[in-house]
Amino acid sequence: MSGVGEEEENAAELKIGDEFLKAKCLMNCEVSLILEHKYEQLQLVSEDPMNQVSQVFEKSLQYVKRFSRYKNPDAVRQVREILSRHQLTEFELCVLGNLCPETAEEAVAMVPSLKTKGRAHSDEAIEKMLNDLSLVKRFE
Amino acid sequence: MFCLSEMEDTVRVPPDLLNLPLEVAIKKVLQKLLLNKVLSIGLCVSIYDIKSAEGGFVLPGDGPATYKVRFIIVVFRPFVGEVIAARFKESDSNGLRLTLGFFEDIYVPAPLIPRPNRCEPDPYNRNQMRWVWIFEEQEYIIDDSCQINFRVENISYPPVPTEQAEDAKPFAPMVITGTIDDDGLGPVSWWEGCSERNNEDDDT
Repeated sequence: MSGVGEEEENAAELKIGDEFLKAKCLMNCEVSLILEHKYEQLQLVSEDPMNQVSQVFEKSLQYVKRFSRYKNPDAVRQVREILSRHQLTEFELCVLGNLCPETAEEAVAMVPSLKTKGRAHSDEAIEKMLNDLSLVKRFE
Repeated sequence: MFCLSEMEDTVRVPPDLLNLPLEVAIKKVLQKLLLNKVLSIGLCVSIYDIKSAEGGFVLPGDGPATYKVRFIIVVFRPFVGEVIAARFKESDSNGLRLTLGFFEDIYVPAPLIPRPNRCEPDPYNRNQMRWVWIFEEQEYIIDDSCQINFRVENISYPPVPTEQAEDAKPFAPMVITGTIDDDGLGPVSWWEGCSERNNEDDDT
């Protein structure tokens, strides 16, 4: 029902559209890409005096931009791919992606469930995952 | 954290919007209806996509066209146990108040501030009390100088009050209680030395 051109533009620009829909939880860096894309659309409706309402959009964008370690779509996609390989729940994946712990000890402090629930991740496995993540940052 | 949520609802598009492309008109109505509202799945911050819209019938004697719409929204949904990055907003003798910018009803009550600590009048702000953590004879003031990580302990959804006093605080439909009393929580400057990280990110 909407313009086909706009859908194609969405898919090309974001490149991760389908994965977003499968993922229920989003990392801040993913939300940043989504909201930045929506920004032009918000300008269209800003003639309406709903300033208080549009504030939530702008402030959310400010927040996710500030608290995102990864900025470009390729890096963001790689981060999700790397974390997805490590038997994490959606929730665990997003907390790690948001807070970017540097050591296994920090990761476990932020996401204690890594060491519980009978699927205890070894420190080596966690370190490997964090190491893979740190490589993504360097290529930005 | 933020989540995507698919919803279905009946949307009435008023006549003055019907000259716009349908998707834009529906988005406008949904934004007005949902943005900044606390729904059961969280605080709505953006309309992500319209998946489908059916109908468009105008009932006799009724101006708006009615559509059955499937759409996806972006919500902020805190989870108990989730560690979230925030900033300091203010503090008083009850504890701290933290903010995310778009959401400011986060409270860290005194018992969830690490001890030993003390609460004293803020020398820079007459109306405020400030909290100071004491650790190994060093004093750590809790203020707005850096990012503060907190863990969600509880989320409450107070019922809408039927009446409010003139000077009452604005109604908060969702209130997060957080703790900073654990490893890795509190101002990030407290932990910087530990992992010897090279902190290129300037959070101030």
